[in-house]
Amino acid sequence: MNSPSATATQSAMGSLHSPIDGTATIELEVNGVGVTRRVNARLSLADFLRERLDLTGTHLGCEHGVCGACTVVLNDEAVRSCLILAVQADGSRITTIEGLAETDHDGQIISIHPIQRAMQEAHGFQCAFCAPGFLMTALCFLERNPAPTRAQIREEISGNLCRCTGYQSIIAGVETAVEIMAADRREGAQDA
Amino acid sequence: MREAVAGRYIGQRVRRVEDQRLLTGRGSFVADVEPEGTVHAAFVRSPFANANIVSIDHSVASRAKGVVAIYTGAEICLLTNPFIPFSNLPGQFTPPFWALAVDRVRFVGDPVAVVLAYSRALAEDAAELVEIEYQELTPVVSIDDALRTDSEPIWPAAGSNILYEAADQFGEVDEAFRKADRVFTETFTSHRLSNQPLETRGCVAEVDPESDEVVFHAATQAGHALRWTLAAVTARQSAVKSIRALAGNRGRLKAFARGAKAALAGTGDQLKKADSSGTIHQIRKDPRTLLYLGRSFLGTLSAERFPRVVAKDIGGGFGSKGPVSREDAVILAVAMELNRSVKWIEDRVENLTDGGQARDERLTISFAVQDDGTILGMKANLVMNQGAYPGVPFNCGLFSRIMKVMLPGTYRIDAFRLDTTVVASNKGRYIPYRGPWANETWARERMLDVVARELGMSATQLRLKNMYHPSELPAKMITGPTLDPTMTAATTLQRAIELAEPAAFAAKQEDARSRGRLLGIGFATYHEAAPGPPDYTDAVTPGVGALLAEKSEISLEADGTVTIRTQQMPHGQSHETTYAQVAADQLGVPMEQVRLVWGDTKNTPFGIMGTGGSRGGPIGGGAVQFSSRALRTKILDQAADLLEANVNDLEIVDGNIHVRGVPAKGKSFAEVAAAAASAGGGIGDEPAITAEFTYNGPPQGGWACATHVCWVEIDPDTGFVTIPRYLVVEDCGEMINPAIVEGQVRGGVAQGIGAVLYEKTNYDEFGNLQSSTYMDYLMPTAMEIPEIELHHLETPSEVEANYRGVGEGGAIGAPPALTNAIENALAHLGVRITEQHLPPHRILELTGVIKPNVASR
Ligand code: FES
Ligand code: FES
Repeated sequence: MNSPSATATQSAMGSLHSPIDGTATIELEVNGVGVTRRVNARLSLADFLRERLDLTGTHLGCEHGVCGACTVVLNDEAVRSCLILAVQADGSRITTIEGLAETDHDGQIISIHPIQRAMQEAHGFQCAFCAPGFLMTALCFLERNPAPTRAQIREEISGNLCRCTGYQSIIAGVETAVEIMAADRREGAQDA
Repeated sequence: MREAVAGRYIGQRVRRVEDQRLLTGRGSFVADVEPEGTVHAAFVRSPFANANIVSIDHSVASRAKGVVAIYTGAEICLLTNPFIPFSNLPGQFTPPFWALAVDRVRFVGDPVAVVLAYSRALAEDAAELVEIEYQELTPVVSIDDALRTDSEPIWPAAGSNILYEAADQFGEVDEAFRKADRVFTETFTSHRLSNQPLETRGCVAEVDPESDEVVFHAATQAGHALRWTLAAVTARQSAVKSIRALAGNRGRLKAFARGAKAALAGTGDQLKKADSSGTIHQIRKDPRTLLYLGRSFLGTLSAERFPRVVAKDIGGGFGSKGPVSREDAVILAVAMELNRSVKWIEDRVENLTDGGQARDERLTISFAVQDDGTILGMKANLVMNQGAYPGVPFNCGLFSRIMKVMLPGTYRIDAFRLDTTVVASNKGRYIPYRGPWANETWARERMLDVVARELGMSATQLRLKNMYHPSELPAKMITGPTLDPTMTAATTLQRAIELAEPAAFAAKQEDARSRGRLLGIGFATYHEAAPGPPDYTDAVTPGVGALLAEKSEISLEADGTVTIRTQQMPHGQSHETTYAQVAADQLGVPMEQVRLVWGDTKNTPFGIMGTGGSRGGPIGGGAVQFSSRALRTKILDQAADLLEANVNDLEIVDGNIHVRGVPAKGKSFAEVAAAAASAGGGIGDEPAITAEFTYNGPPQGGWACATHVCWVEIDPDTGFVTIPRYLVVEDCGEMINPAIVEGQVRGGVAQGIGAVLYEKTNYDEFGNLQSSTYMDYLMPTAMEIPEIELHHLETPSEVEANYRGVGEGGAIGAPPALTNAIENALAHLGVRITEQHLPPHRILELTGVIKPNVASR
């Protein structure tokens, strides 16, 4: 190999997760599974999910709190995982996009969530890099407001950026989700 | 006459195949790739727009925790070849440049060094410790800066900051202007903006020390072009060593010759039209070009290791992931040098700084018209600000040629002259952005409104008077291309007028004005080459069209499923769905039986373009249609043998091949596959029957047409513009999947609205970037983008598979429709809109509510 005078310095640390500025052990529940990990104090929740738990469905679009691609649900609230430290999530319950569909023990999908079904029906997304963030946002506000108006939907998703769609299809998808979920509730009530 | 297709899937709003993984968090984007033992890269970037590098000291940084290596420009010069110009026009100079800045930085964000460490965070920590001393030079920022004769050339070999000049004339322009009753001239300026896909750039060079192949995972719109460019840039060795290696490796040479022959097959006559004087001019201006060319070529032929590009899911591009990034070359080169995997995922600040920027053009347009509104001639002067480093493989030169061809639009303009200038400046890289010629439409459609107003005509009346109508077809644009034989932009305008009722609106507007409310309406009409007829490509770049053909490979697998291989690189356009629709209809199978393979240069056919230029539907989709047809023929032949029937008596229904009317005695695709495999002596896991088709688009047509209508209300106190209604009448002929068409159009319109009201890549007079986060670069949200009403015309075509691309038009039509609406709302105040970026404070300046501030550049 040709070898110019590049400066190669082997680090004394040698490992990706070496403690460099203090670590802490956190315990939390992610998609229904309890996890305990030792983490760097400065590790963001997003990087924790993506790198330590391999939950790469949560995406990073800006890492400064504007785009909403990194949105996850923390104790029933939609939060930006790029702005939260993993240590701040200690003791919490987290749901990510991977936890939205119902899966079996091997992680195979048994049935997708009505919001996922609705987005597929409405052609909600294109590249869908933004989709996990929108779905987690929608999940939380439909919980609070199961029958939103179109204006409310528009407002609720306005903290998430999508560069591909112009939003109309995403709004249509949320409306479809509202219908599906209402129908499911009616069916549930009849069954009961 | 076209064969009637069953049309079971084509034309349906079929749900997307991609969604099954993308909506469940099971996609695979480049940031999700991390081979064992990967080290992470962070770039040290220039804080100055124009400066000499005096010294770099990374001794402290190198000792920082977790650092594996640091490379600067001096080392990259030893590891790589420079990027050399690919597409030079006659008289154009395109500077060769290195992947890292060597002794000079040329824009804020210019990469100067790369730090590799065990995590991105550690690499960033160390990057801050790299000490660089700069000597500042006078920055060249605006077009006017660059045109000043005393401005220091950013690229000394160019001799000035003017890189390209051209004059093109069609028809008797001077006479048209002499004869005309009136001449109107106006200068339009468009700001710089940025493509901003939600996924940034990024790559992972996966090195297996045992292998002579490096797997280069990338978010790219053009995998094969990336592969060969990277191979050329990273194949750095002496010519002597290359020749020795070649002599010892005849196999490589033969394979290369075979590949080149296949890529150029049958294009000889076409290629003769190409003009090589650009390259010769280039070599004269900078003789080193010849050395670099030779070294890259020999190195590529003989390199020990070769990149294989792999892309899976890609989070949007809009043109920005087509060009090859300097960072890509750095990452590949250092990974091969270190013999270990290296990953770089760009952050948003880097993306806004160095991820590519677009537009930044100035167009002066003159129309020679008669008092009755007849246009006799048009003159235009175009200046494009290319920024510091030219795009690879395509730079401003090519996009200026598209503008040249497109400027007359679908208007009867018999005399046209264009003067073009491309300048260099200390700004980020100019790259193609969704409809890279869009500003010709913006300036022309804006100017038509100006002319109409001056003549006291309605904007739509002036347009209709000068447009080609269906009765006048066939017709040719004065710049060369033949218009669509049946579809016209005029038809979309007529339909838009019916829907929008501008006359009724005028009364409403008057009434509103009397009560202090500002309402406006704006129209814009255009056709776009999507991908255009063959004489369109010839008019833009003679000879090059031949290189753009696409091959689709298709196979019936042993299990009866069908696999299509494409060179297309889907990144939001839903190819997996639309191509499966096309193939399933041809083959008579359920869509679920068809699978698309893309993104891996190892198992997809070669193609230069990847996904771009509105070619995915027409060319990629056409190739799929014809290759599927070829496969169907082979499958039927095989089935005829099996069924002992005449092939002409067979039909395929739902994947069952049988004699017409006797479905019970049919054969499934799997049975045919098994028979073909055993006949061919296969062992069962390779494809049973294969077919392919190379396609370069329809012989005629290939245009998409549209009219956009935008209504605005402007708050006189705040300057805030709202859009109560927006409609698009669009004609792309037959649609493969209307829901996907609609998504493309709406997404484009949203970007066009963002461009006018919110987004701006903002440089101050020193070339400092003022918009490097989403707090300053304002991306439109759901609150800003209105509902967009769509009307499809679907003019049928006599030509089979005459699908048209629709990805770019939305972003082309929105800026003129919106700026025309804004001027219409403010017309009675004497406002004329000659710029494209109109945030609230600018509206208030124009209406005289606040004093104009020094405009940033
Ligand atoms: S990545 Fe967290 S808000 Fe953009
Ligand atoms: S679908 Fe691409 S960013 Fe939303």
